[in-house]
Amino acid sequence: MRAMVIDDSRAMRMILKRIVTKLNFEAVEAGDGKEALDLLADMTEVPEVALIDWNMPNMNGLEFVTKVRADPRLREMTLVMVTTESEQSQIVRALAAGAHEYVIKPFTEGAMIEKLALLGLVPTGANS
Amino acid sequence: MSVEVEVDENDLAEMVEQVWESYLDPEGVSPLMQTYDENQPSEVHSSVSITGSWNGHVVYASSRAAAQRAAAAFLAMELDEVSEEDISDTLGELANIVGGNVKAMLPPGAQLSLPQVVLAPEASARFPNTERISGVYGLWEGEPVSISMWQSSTDTKEEGA
Repeated sequence: MRAMVIDDSRAMRMILKRIVTKLNFEAVEAGDGKEALDLLADMTEVPEVALIDWNMPNMNGLEFVTKVRADPRLREMTLVMVTTESEQSQIVRALAAGAHEYVIKPFTEGAMIEKLALLGLVPTGANS
Repeated sequence: MSVEVEVDENDLAEMVEQVWESYLDPEGVSPLMQTYDENQPSEVHSSVSITGSWNGHVVYASSRAAAQRAAAAFLAMELDEVSEEDISDTLGELANIVGGNVKAMLPPGAQLSLPQVVLAPEASARFPNTERISGVYGLWEGEPVSISMWQSSTDTKEEGA
């Protein structure tokens, strides 16, 4: 299985990559939404999940989600916003645009794994 | 625009605790011990600006040693493996996380900037026309760390008017 980690912070990408690698995902990194779309265009196999920051230069997370949802080839990819944008209105915007779930920074490793389990991407109890 | 600031030191302290629990001290063995000394020195700092319903900055400042330790914890590295880029990246993300959570507590209509990182003391990069309105000041394994909020004086004047 493959996971795409999209965040302009290399530190946050490393944290997320560490978590998903532990769950047996192969991690692909992108520094913003534009870079992620470029990478996806070259992939023959679409990642099962994308973990997406909101505030990024060039193309933010919300724009990325909107673009992905408009592309039938990427329809099966699960989209999780991983962001500090924690206002209810922002969460609603992201979900309305097509994100499946929302994780607010700061998050613990356990919380992230539980969220992925909730989405059916890892077995329940993978955290224990 | 004028708003009442609804983020106090207790709110900031709670956010800081979450950051430590999530990234800097997941084992819960070295929390930030508050000193309440707003004049403690810093050697590096990062900040995010908030504009809109509230205007100002959220600043994360620390000693270089504390920044190096933060980067090592964040990136799961040994202290001596940490590069300047690692420190810069980690400080930026810490400001982003705290700033984003502060923004969530402000009235709707606020926007968060991308983080700025300066590997120099907070005092060397002043924020013009601002006033420090809140902060958490402490020692992390003996090294100074602070998280502070600086409000634009335009807002402050309007509130006082």
